[in-house]
Amino acid sequence: MLKGNTTFERNSPVSVFIYYACVVVPVIFTMNPVIIALSLIGSIISSFAGREHTSVRFHIYMLILFVVMTAANPLFYHNGETVLFVMNNNPITLEAAIYGAISATAVISVLYRSRSFTLYMTSDRLLYLFSILSSKAALILTMALRYVPLYTRHTRCVADAQRAAGLYKERNIIDDIKGGMRVFSATATWALEYGIVTAASMEARGYGVGRRTRYSPFTFGHRDIVLTAISLMLFAVIITAGATGSFSFTFYPRIEASPASTLAFAAYTSYGVLSFLPAILTIIEDVRWKYLVQKI
Amino acid sequence: MEILSAKNLSFTYPGEDTPALSNINFSVSEGEFVAVCGATGSGKSTLLSLLKREVAPMGKMTGEIFYRSTPLSSMNHKDSAFKIGYVTQRPEQQIVTDKVWHELSFALENMGLPSDEIRRRVAEVACFFGIEDLFDRRTDELSGGQKQLLNLAAVVVTRPDILILDEPTAQLDPIAASDFITMLKKLHRELSMTIIIAEHRLEEIIPASDSLLVMEGGRIIVFGKTRTIAASLRTNPRMLLGMPAAVRIYSELAVDGEDKDVACPLTVREGRDYILNNFRQDIKVRKVPEYTHRENEAISFRDVYLRYSRDSDDVLRALSLTVYEGELFCVVGGNGSGKTTALLAAAGLRKFYSGSIKIFGRDIRSYKNGSLYSGCLSMLPQDVDTLFLCSTVADELRDAGTDVDSLPFEFPKATLDRHPYDISGGEKQLLGLAKLLATHPRLLLLDEPTKGLDAWYKTKIGDVLRSLTASGITVVVVTHDIEFAAAYADRCALFFRGSVVSSDVPHKFFAENSFYTTSAARMVRGIYDGAITADDVIALCRANGRRNESKRSLLTGVGVT
Repeated sequence: MLKGNTTFERNSPVSVFIYYACVVVPVIFTMNPVIIALSLIGSIISSFAGREHTSVRFHIYMLILFVVMTAANPLFYHNGETVLFVMNNNPITLEAAIYGAISATAVISVLYRSRSFTLYMTSDRLLYLFSILSSKAALILTMALRYVPLYTRHTRCVADAQRAAGLYKERNIIDDIKGGMRVFSATATWALEYGIVTAASMEARGYGVGRRTRYSPFTFGHRDIVLTAISLMLFAVIITAGATGSFSFTFYPRIEASPASTLAFAAYTSYGVLSFLPAILTIIEDVRWKYLVQKI
Repeated sequence: MEILSAKNLSFTYPGEDTPALSNINFSVSEGEFVAVCGATGSGKSTLLSLLKREVAPMGKMTGEIFYRSTPLSSMNHKDSAFKIGYVTQRPEQQIVTDKVWHELSFALENMGLPSDEIRRRVAEVACFFGIEDLFDRRTDELSGGQKQLLNLAAVVVTRPDILILDEPTAQLDPIAASDFITMLKKLHRELSMTIIIAEHRLEEIIPASDSLLVMEGGRIIVFGKTRTIAASLRTNPRMLLGMPAAVRIYSELAVDGEDKDVACPLTVREGRDYILNNFRQDIKVRKVPEYTHRENEAISFRDVYLRYSRDSDDVLRALSLTVYEGELFCVVGGNGSGKTTALLAAAGLRKFYSGSIKIFGRDIRSYKNGSLYSGCLSMLPQDVDTLFLCSTVADELRDAGTDVDSLPFEFPKATLDRHPYDISGGEKQLLGLAKLLATHPRLLLLDEPTKGLDAWYKTKIGDVLRSLTASGITVVVVTHDIEFAAAYADRCALFFRGSVVSSDVPHKFFAENSFYTTSAARMVRGIYDGAITADDVIALCRANGRRNESKRSLLTGVGVT
């Protein structure tokens, strides 16, 4: 469970999903450095504003990934006009280096976003989204999610029981494998037994007597309408600009940007707002809360 | 008004010759609280499962069951699923989904209710059960008691008329069981729900129930008002064994005719009044032979600290405890007090980070390559099923290398061809013991061996353990069952927050405790000293004799004419 992210905690999974789709899709389909830079900065700032407690290790991994990806591209691709130097008879070009840096930035920003997304999208929220598509499939998935920890725990119990009963001797590797197989087969039998009781319990509570409805504790409220509307509007601007080629950007043979236009500027602004939206919302909430506290 | 009834009901399982139920006739009226009791294999479970069509076993059924005069077989699917609620003894396995809120809404989703209606009903039930705090929790993180309350709530949410419960508290510790029964009483009292419950733990169910249905060998032997039936059980010693202490004491002491004008006491309070009003208190103390333990230590814990992960709290804190050879040692204590962890540590299954554990005078860490588990120590886990690997009982015994005929107790041979999961709880314990004895242990560790057993099987297990200690084996039992500990232990220890707060011989240990003690001890607190079981109380009352014998017989005489 995400603690402290006041931004999305109270939103419906649907609106949050739409937001993340809107913010990630442009990064995937463009190589425009402005959009990608906004995406990276926005995702990092938002993750801090949302108090996601990202570990230092995660940032370091991202940094290493960035360096590796940036370095890898010019080593393998030798297109581009501006040769920086020659290594092992292969030209290393400025264009390829910049392309590498920008694509690395894109990947890392998407990873930061995914982290925020998975922190928010706990299994029940994800299942809720899934159940919109198919209620039955979602039920099967929730049952499967329940079984994983149960089986793990039971396997440990069986292994302990067998060991303390002196039946699973651990004298050599063959004994070990044999013991492991016995534990596995016992757990499998137990799982079948278990399944029968669960099935009876489902039937006893009327599973399959008629059409099932779907209940979830999530509601699509005012906040969600606002979030969805903002996301979709900004996204529409970006898509329009993208479709008309206003911010297209080419690297090879030389770096060329399309001429600056009002539409491109509108797209940058929109993406900026979209990218920083979680941070903006969190700050608004924080300020509002501080104000409330003062009143109290 | 009659809500549920059975007419000439008989039932035979496929492939069996003798019927599991024969000629069952009874009728339950609306709002009645019926306690069903009977020994293991008396047909209680079969009867209860037949009352709920969805869980009814396969087999040949004759006769009919009626729900408000409609035969069960011709009820429509929805009524049958939602009007009759059913809870079994397995807390874990009845849970379907991974979140508490989803579990509560599951049946309502099946009913096809709109989302708003579901939201309201789920909220209502969560409040009534006081489980709002658990609403967002994962179901696998709940304790056994919380799981069973959730199961009850998930059934009650459809607003059934009847609740059928098959040993719902069998797998719970006494506190959780008591909470569960309190909730049932609340459902009965405040929502006038009809409740039919089968239980082995009758101390609290009997006083709560309106009527008592007693089964034996697939037949109903008596059915009627609880107090009347309880008083009439004195001719049936096996059934009496499972009754509350007050009923047992009354039944032993009320010599025919003499107590006709005295109602049978059901609770501790009523039992206390009965003893105070009817018996003299000249002999206060029950004499017990002094117990002396042997010199050699079987297990000794010295300042043991244990925790499961670096950031968690200590489960065992400075635990120091010594069990001597040949003892039957019982460890009691609340949930999470570290009893089971201490047992696992003694079995070498959990690593402690400070202190020492010695098994027969040798450091546990010096036993290498499983030498601890051959000819030295063996453990019977809480869930005995985890010990079984084969498809028949006979195979289990062969696999372990047990010779059935040389066991120190009589093994139920009728079970040899059955699957080890299908035999009764008591038989499972015996099978587990039989398997363990094949390794010739000198020290046996048992975790909750009496969980879910009927009173008769408890005494059977107790006798088996006694015979094992008589043959020189040291037995350590971790249990919630204080009645069992009081009756069989040589010494007892009370665990609290990871260490032992007191240990003594049972008649001192339980007589000194005033909350954590047997119901017999609570009943005679301040009246008689050192009486901790119903049998002790009976012996003391007999020795003291009745108050005002002449007056009483005069009264009885008046009563008769």
